Amino acid sequence: MSETLLFLIPLLPLSCALANLLFGMRLPRLFAETLAVSGVAGATLLTLLFWDYAAGEGTRAVLATWLASGDVNVAFALHFDKLAAPMTLMVTGVATLIHLYAVGYMRQEQDYARFFTLLNLFVFAMLAIVLADNLLVLFLGWEGVGLCSYALIGFWYRDKNNARAGTKAFLVTRVGDVFLGIALLWLFALTGTLSISEINAQAAALAPGTVLALTLLLLLGACGKSAQLPLMTWLADAMAGPTPVSALIHAATMVTAGVYLLCRLFPLVSLSAAGMTAIAAVGALTALYAATCAMAQREIKRVLAYSTMSQVGYMFMAVGAGTVSGAMFHLFTHAFFKALLFMAAGCLIHLAGEENDIFRMGGLARRGPPELFWVFLAGAVCLAGMPLTGGFFSKDAVLLALFSHADPVYRVFWLVGVLTALLTAFYTFRLTYLVFAGEPRGAGHPHPVTWLMRWPLWPLALIGLAGGILNLPALVGGSERLQHWLGSLAGRQPSVSHQLEWQLIALAALLVLAGWAAAHWRYRAYRPPLDNRTARFLLQGWRTDQLVDLVVVRPFDAMARLIYIGADRALIDGTLKGLSHFTATCGGMVRRLTTGRLSTYLSAFAWGFLLILGWVLLALVARGGGH
Amino acid sequence: MTLSAFLAQIPWLSLLIILPLTGALLCMLCDPRERTSRWLALVTTHLILAIAIGLFLLQGQVSPENGWLWYEDAAWIERFGIRFTLAMDGISLLLVLLTAFLQTVAVLMSWQTERHPSMFFALVLLLEAGIMGIFLAVDLVLFYMFWEIMIIPMFFLIGIWGHARRRYAALKFFLYTLAGSLTMLIALIALYLLHGEQTGSYTFALAELAQTQLTAGQEFWLFLGFMAAFAVKTPLVPFHTWLPDAHTEAPIAGTIDLTGLLLKTGVYGMIRVAFPLFPAATRDALPVLAFLALVGIFHAAWSAYRQDDVKRLFAYASISHLGLVVLGLAAWQTTAWTGSLLLLPAHGITTGGLFVIIAMIRRRTDTRSMRELGGLWGKAPNLSAMFLLFALASLGLPGLANFAGEILVLLGTFQTQPVWACLAFLGVVFAAAYMLRMVQNTLWGPPADDREIADLTPREWLILLPMAILTVWLGLYPAPFLAPLQEPVQLLLGGMP
Amino acid sequence: MIVPLAHVLALAAAVFVLGLACAVMRRQLIMILIGVEIMLNAAALVMVGASAYWQQADGQVMVVLLMAVTASEVAVALAMVFYLRHRQGTIEADRFDRMQG
Repeated sequence: MSETLLFLIPLLPLSCALANLLFGMRLPRLFAETLAVSGVAGATLLTLLFWDYAAGEGTRAVLATWLASGDVNVAFALHFDKLAAPMTLMVTGVATLIHLYAVGYMRQEQDYARFFTLLNLFVFAMLAIVLADNLLVLFLGWEGVGLCSYALIGFWYRDKNNARAGTKAFLVTRVGDVFLGIALLWLFALTGTLSISEINAQAAALAPGTVLALTLLLLLGACGKSAQLPLMTWLADAMAGPTPVSALIHAATMVTAGVYLLCRLFPLVSLSAAGMTAIAAVGALTALYAATCAMAQREIKRVLAYSTMSQVGYMFMAVGAGTVSGAMFHLFTHAFFKALLFMAAGCLIHLAGEENDIFRMGGLARRGPPELFWVFLAGAVCLAGMPLTGGFFSKDAVLLALFSHADPVYRVFWLVGVLTALLTAFYTFRLTYLVFAGEPRGAGHPHPVTWLMRWPLWPLALIGLAGGILNLPALVGGSERLQHWLGSLAGRQPSVSHQLEWQLIALAALLVLAGWAAAHWRYRAYRPPLDNRTARFLLQGWRTDQLVDLVVVRPFDAMARLIYIGADRALIDGTLKGLSHFTATCGGMVRRLTTGRLSTYLSAFAWGFLLILGWVLLALVARGGGH
Repeated sequence: MTLSAFLAQIPWLSLLIILPLTGALLCMLCDPRERTSRWLALVTTHLILAIAIGLFLLQGQVSPENGWLWYEDAAWIERFGIRFTLAMDGISLLLVLLTAFLQTVAVLMSWQTERHPSMFFALVLLLEAGIMGIFLAVDLVLFYMFWEIMIIPMFFLIGIWGHARRRYAALKFFLYTLAGSLTMLIALIALYLLHGEQTGSYTFALAELAQTQLTAGQEFWLFLGFMAAFAVKTPLVPFHTWLPDAHTEAPIAGTIDLTGLLLKTGVYGMIRVAFPLFPAATRDALPVLAFLALVGIFHAAWSAYRQDDVKRLFAYASISHLGLVVLGLAAWQTTAWTGSLLLLPAHGITTGGLFVIIAMIRRRTDTRSMRELGGLWGKAPNLSAMFLLFALASLGLPGLANFAGEILVLLGTFQTQPVWACLAFLGVVFAAAYMLRMVQNTLWGPPADDREIADLTPREWLILLPMAILTVWLGLYPAPFLAPLQEPVQLLLGGMP
Repeated sequence: MIVPLAHVLALAAAVFVLGLACAVMRRQLIMILIGVEIMLNAAALVMVGASAYWQQADGQVMVVLLMAVTASEVAVALAMVFYLRHRQGTIEADRFDRMQG
């Protein structure tokens, strides 16, 4: 019975969301805020409390039957195991800090009840993904986070562009959801169950071609939520939402849901070598693509958005290389330092007087509280992968796994990863220099940054910097804690000589320093942004929006016009109109016969009479003749 | 006498038909007294709802008779073998419940009807009698009679109380449905004669007619005759163009009944009449049916995407959803069928809710055009939140009503016809596209004008809250509604491989 | 029976054709009515003849009924003609063509 208590973890944020939805505006503001924060904080504490349930094979709990009909029997069930437990802790922990930050950030907002309702609801949906025991519950959370992301990106709905960005995010991710949905249907048809663990157990019996197709479907589903190529266009626009939303949804949690999905179904996915290569390839392409875009962005949040995309690409590469522990390791460290960077960016935007453009910021190191500079720097060095930070170790684990993979094509991915690391270091320090160095360039009036917005950054900065201890490689005397914790779930582990490992580490460190040096040389003193074709091309994200517009949106519009105006109105309704017109014309012709004159009728009557008479006579004659 | 024996003696099914008929008559009689007729209609519909809920709660308590939950049989026109036979199984139970519920909504929504309210409510009640009759009759003549009874009040509701192009819409509706039902009449009589010749017993009882031995040619043409009526009503593309006009021009009560109930009679006719009567022809027709359903899903979704009038958009959305229902039937599989049947009430409530809300918006702003609406959230947040809820349910968000039905349909369909299911799943994105476009243009953005509009009134809360609760209930805990479907669905599917 | 049936039938046919010609050719309502009456009388003649030929009373009964019906019909028709003449000032049949489709 007590394992049912595990449901408290997702249901606590949900009930707080409902309470805020129903009573939020009628309660004192402080109460609504406390409710929201305590829901998530409670979930964090509960996760720690129930930590032991994750031991061994984990714990399964069933709340109630959801859908039972025919051969389908799906329950609201969750599975708290060694993969789900740390993810739950990360989601709830980071969410708690972001909620606290949001209380400060949204101080001026009148519509706070809606905001906190959606934020709590998001945490619930995310936990549904993480804890789901079957694919349908996972799908519930999957769509739920999509909805919350939609509503939160468009939170300031009075500006049509915000709402449009939300709609775009929802639609693009929904395209991915269709593939996930089809995979779900197929898996059910193949295995007769939707339970994730049973599917994983039965995966080995499936035909290789089927597994490959399923892997590709799951990959496309994951691409939608994780903003990977080709379904990545929504993430940069999603920055229209409030900053806590970007930190929570578009950095730490939702965008990593795709990675988590692939890890969850790793026993299935890993069966197909081609599928794994595809996953790694998508990750590599996205990582490089996003890093190049990030180099040319002008808005601080867009730089971070592209870097998120790029880092999630690393996680995909890790999954593709077969190391779940590597992917999860990078997922965790990234969640910490990226949430930190976003929240710090929110503070900086406040400080610069609601200025987003990094070319009009500058000099913020001296303008605001100095601690802001330090925490941002902590996040930045993690992102850049400065040696000894959390980001360094996790990224290195990914690169090592790629390098040591038996398949030579993974060397190409490794090269892409290395190049991306260089670019990452460059754009991270470009951002840092442009924002903090030199003189203030903007005209905006600084807004105060409250203590509630500042102190949640510290824990994240510390965890981010020291994140390496989560899974410190044995090389530097670490115990590879995460890998041992995950046990059989951890996937393939690279085995290379210490010497090679040291060489790789040295190379990574060199790259970071090179990137830093380049940024130092280019941006230490302010120079206006380049405005050549390449820069514009990168600024617009390789013009993918125009491409999508040309290839998808316009044909869709044209098809809609063709179907509605052409088929529905012209063809079907036209045919019917023609039919009714024909009937009316025939009627009109017959109508002329009825002149209304008595004489016409009488003579017609007489002629008719004669006709019948003649026919009868003829018949009589014929009969007579017959005899 | 025990309670259950006592309950078993009351002719509940006849009451379900007689009550609205009586109510209609009384409404007509108290013509000039508007208040009386209004309250009369309200009380009648609530009584029926109470009976329907009672029957739902009592299922299984009263011992079933010849496989039905409830069964009533009386002599009617003996000379032609026509009997007054009503029967209810899990499927009809669900649809009767939906009818009773949506009619109370329809009456409440038309509370302020100004033109001839007595006549209006009389017609609404008459319509309810007709629809109830369709869902209960198992004698073909009785079925046909109710089928026609249903058309007439709807014709007048659209033609008299409708919006600007009401006469065009009413005529179009009438001609379309009449054309369909006439072919059904011909097929019905032909079947009656064929069966009579074979067995010597001239009867219209559905169960007996199903035993008729038919040649393949006969079966095909008779099946086509019946399906014409049902395809128009469902509607299947390309027999659907009456629907957007009728939905758009009808008064709100008419729109709720059209979308919530009339469309369901088409689907119900297929599973209760056409499929069991002509099993071989049905099996041959399934791919065609599926093809039309798939075409319908995309055709309607694309058409919906082009609409400016929100009400018209919902009408096309209805066609798209019904396409999925028919696809589930064409899959010929238990899970898919229960999904389709669950989708019927789900669609009735969510789309009904959308129509109700757009009527409320129109009362406040005098427009339904997306170009003229916008920024409603800032003006009336509660109304907008409800709007968003039903829109999300309609686009198939998990946890809300439509998803439960849709996923069952898809899970079932994939097992027999994977390609159909994949294509249908793509329809989900289309639904998101037109719904989100609509939400974007009505709820978000800057306010369209400076006019203040009122948020939900207590009466409107009263209408919307039960619908919203049902939407969530059907989405999260559909078990009580799925359970009564299992047995009849297996029975209907069991006759055929 | 003195007169053979064939003669009666021939006479009736002649009368009927005369009546028909009158009804079709004349333009005045009165004359058309008279034509109709003549045709009815031809029919009556046939019945009387047939009745006599087969020695059955049915035909004569029918004729009595026919006379009664004709009388009432003429009464109504004449009243209408009179009324029309009063309203329209004419009894020219073709002037009343408002019933056209």
